[in-house]
Amino acid sequence: MIDSGSVKQLAGHPFDRRDFLKVLGWSGAAVALSGCGNTSIEDGKETVVSYVEANDYMVPGIGVYYNSTCAQCDAGCSINGRVREGRVLKLEGNPDSAINKGKLCGLGQAGVQHHYNPDRVREPLLRNGNKGETISWDKAYALIAEKLSGVKGEEIAFLSGGVSGHLKALLGNYLDSLGTKNHFVYEAVAPGVVRAANVKAYGVEMPRYRFDKAQVVLSFGADFLGSWVSPVHFSQQYAQFRKGVNGQRGVLVQVESKMTLTGANADRWLAVKPGTEGVLALGIINALGIATGEVAELVKGYDRARVSSETGVAPGQIDKIAALLKLRSPSLVLAGSAAEGYAHGSQNAAAIHLLNQVLGNVGKTVEAPVSVPFPQMAPAKGNTAALKTLNDGLAAGKYKVLFNFAANPVFTAPGAFKFKDNLAKAGFKVAFAHYLDETALQADLVLPLDSAMEDWGTQVPEYMTEGAQINIQQPLMERLHANTRGMGDIVLTLIKQRRADEYKAFEDYYAYLRGAMLQNKGALGGGGVDDDTFWNETLTQGIVKLAGSTGTLTAHAAAAGLTLPAPAASDEQYPLHLIPGVTASLRDGRHTNQPWLQESPDPLTTIVWDSWVEVHPKKATELGIVEGDIVEVTSKTGSVKAQVYLFPGIHPEAISIPVGRGHDAMGRYAKGYGVNPFQIMDAVFDAATGELAMHETRVNIKKTGQRVLVVKDEGSAGALQMGRKIAARVSTDQVDLSKEV
Amino acid sequence: MSVSNLLENWSQVRHEHPVNDKPHDPYKWAMAIDLDACTGCNACSVACYAENNIPVVGKERFQHGQQMHWLRVERYWEEDSREFPDQGFQFLPMMCQQCEAAPCETVCPVAATNHTADGLNSQIYNRCIGSRYCSANCPFKVRYFNWYDYPTDEMVWPAEMTQQMNPDVSVRSKGVMEKCTFCVQRLSAAKVVAKGEGRIVREGEVQTACQQSCPTGAISFGNLVNPESRVHKQWAAQQVVLDADKQAKDEKEEGPGLRGYRILEELRAYPSVMYLERVRESAV
Repeated sequence: MIDSGSVKQLAGHPFDRRDFLKVLGWSGAAVALSGCGNTSIEDGKETVVSYVEANDYMVPGIGVYYNSTCAQCDAGCSINGRVREGRVLKLEGNPDSAINKGKLCGLGQAGVQHHYNPDRVREPLLRNGNKGETISWDKAYALIAEKLSGVKGEEIAFLSGGVSGHLKALLGNYLDSLGTKNHFVYEAVAPGVVRAANVKAYGVEMPRYRFDKAQVVLSFGADFLGSWVSPVHFSQQYAQFRKGVNGQRGVLVQVESKMTLTGANADRWLAVKPGTEGVLALGIINALGIATGEVAELVKGYDRARVSSETGVAPGQIDKIAALLKLRSPSLVLAGSAAEGYAHGSQNAAAIHLLNQVLGNVGKTVEAPVSVPFPQMAPAKGNTAALKTLNDGLAAGKYKVLFNFAANPVFTAPGAFKFKDNLAKAGFKVAFAHYLDETALQADLVLPLDSAMEDWGTQVPEYMTEGAQINIQQPLMERLHANTRGMGDIVLTLIKQRRADEYKAFEDYYAYLRGAMLQNKGALGGGGVDDDTFWNETLTQGIVKLAGSTGTLTAHAAAAGLTLPAPAASDEQYPLHLIPGVTASLRDGRHTNQPWLQESPDPLTTIVWDSWVEVHPKKATELGIVEGDIVEVTSKTGSVKAQVYLFPGIHPEAISIPVGRGHDAMGRYAKGYGVNPFQIMDAVFDAATGELAMHETRVNIKKTGQRVLVVKDEGSAGALQMGRKIAARVSTDQVDLSKEV
Repeated sequence: MSVSNLLENWSQVRHEHPVNDKPHDPYKWAMAIDLDACTGCNACSVACYAENNIPVVGKERFQHGQQMHWLRVERYWEEDSREFPDQGFQFLPMMCQQCEAAPCETVCPVAATNHTADGLNSQIYNRCIGSRYCSANCPFKVRYFNWYDYPTDEMVWPAEMTQQMNPDVSVRSKGVMEKCTFCVQRLSAAKVVAKGEGRIVREGEVQTACQQSCPTGAISFGNLVNPESRVHKQWAAQQVVLDADKQAKDEKEEGPGLRGYRILEELRAYPSVMYLERVRESAV
């Protein structure tokens, strides 16, 4: 990649002073030389970077690139940050990463707006009534020590989002020093049920999926192109899958009740009745007719007529899919969030995995993942079951000190948890925060964090590709605000309060990180290299590639214990399923204050800056609703009001509201835009794992009589091309892809 | 310029593009977008905001149609009356098509928009007087007008956020029209380097921001004149010719198996962007 002024470009092309003046232009030169007019050289001098003392690499007008790791989600894409005059300008993908190979999604690119966000917390704040008073870091640390003294380990809880790498190890040591085992890892949107089902079917939480080897992908609600596990990596594999081999293009069939981005790209999108994904999977096994033994016994009752009436999928369609799966092998069958979101989510996933097994895909398109040589750095994972345990403890008044990092449960906990009320029962609440979000606002002490572009760290992705890798996060520029601190530095300071002797050698987290990496130099591929060379090399690459070992998948999906419930009875009072939409750009709402993401239209509805209720046009006619009507969506737990968007990509028995918006705090770009469907979610759990069944909430909708203009990118013709050939398409029998470039 | 002078010397004043007397040499920047690979994820659009200092206008101005996204992802579904869009949606990244005979160029009263030697439709900001004729005349609706002075708007660019701005790209003020430039700042930089080394820009040496970010590699960009370039090969394989208004694909007998097309070809704007039709499996 050529930068408009990269170092490479400068080599051999020395700037001479005359050119410099030419570039500056006459007026600029006049001002600079004469100092006359309204501009004085003294004006704004504090913002001028002195090039007399600049670093060697810093040349005005010349961009420098640093490798680091994207922190916007935990897929672990490697980034390449463009830095000019000491400021980071743009994030691009690092081509050397096996995960994202030089590519980066919109969410990842918006990371610079996390860094430069005007609403960041800048000083440690201590609660005084309803206000936060600025205090010094020394006072803040002393206060934490004071609050922890005399408190028993079981009275301390630490809530965090997913953490990995050295921070996870250090944090573990700190919690150990406090004598607590209460580390609750909570990600609101995580494949918790599928991980557990994967362990049963494949023996690992997350196998390696080979989209590139599959000829057919049958996905039950896995939004792998949008927000599922490692979307940038999967998108690249998807591109290969579509190209296929010798012009034989891969076929994608998506089964779900609410269309996701992946569903919008399917060759065949099947709207099933909410919760019947497992039934369809067993129906396809039946239609294949290749199963034997207890599997054949299990699917015997799932004939076309029954499956069709329970799922709403036409019998002929089931046959077509079965025929396609037989014809083109290997295929890949995936269970995603639409399948796992029910009280019988684990059973749904088990049925889907069984189909994969019957098709003989396991070992071909579902492979064993590479194992990370350093298990203590592997990511800590968790879903809502962990939050529920914490919530129960809080309700019982168990905790005297609560820490919160990288999670915003006041915003993302299902309304039925009454998490905010329970949180108030904790004695002293410390929030390590980037913004004053809903949870930080409830804290007694808020400690401001560095952005990912200012901080050191290591990250280990859950989903590895060709080999194992440890990702390096390094500062791309100086701190924007003097009083923010890196999470690693904070934990190191805190652990020194308990175990000063063990950690006194480390002045800061950087020293700890460097020390820890150098100690394992041999295992990290730096054997025989001197320390500085190894370290510089590591930072330059931004990735440590490891020869992880690949095993074989041990477990085997079986029919034993698999029972799917009878179709849910219709509920008179709450006739509709509420499906929370997880979008690629907003996810669980932690990045909603980044304006690029607010203004990036939702790919399916093209709506910006607001929430909406997706209603099928048929249902809307039945209810007398038109686009823009404000409706009240009511569940057992609560209600929200939002605008309606008529959307054909949803089952008429369901409605969908996207998650991520509806903040009442966080910052100027997030607060007051849209509604938060987490608030009205019932506490229904997957029976096997105890994870929240996110699709089980039932609702009704009522018109309020108000109507608004929906703010969206599509024009007045909506989704229609009005007979013009704008976005054209062709069926496979009309093209010859083998001759394409 | 008097009208008589204008009429007498029409060919001097207004070149017909594509021109044979002044062929594109050594550069003609062009694009190919594979709609079968495009997933509609919007990464390209965000990349464009980041690269080109595009203002985020906010909800109210967006409602007024004042959004500034140089690259938008359009979304369509089938027009027949089926219950569900059961073959998915159609996504289409739409940006300035850099037309060879650009309808916007002929109507600009001050020649603020014109054609460059390397085949770009360029916009000269400090010449633009904001008549907005170009936008009215653009069949693709990809020109965006600055109704406000965004750089001084505290909600659009608070002080901290201005530090992210790309110094290689001008910040536009109120009253100026803007649009996709094919990342001309990157092209210029690459051309300068190449010229210094006495060669032309190599294939792969320069990428547009949208192309660079695209997770599925749906966008290819390069020099159409260079037979080594991927974009040249793609255009050739699809038999799409820059200065034709009817392509092989449109001739039923000769063009089976092809999927390259240009949008609104019949208008004879000769766009520099070729799209490849989305493919849908016939067996399911």
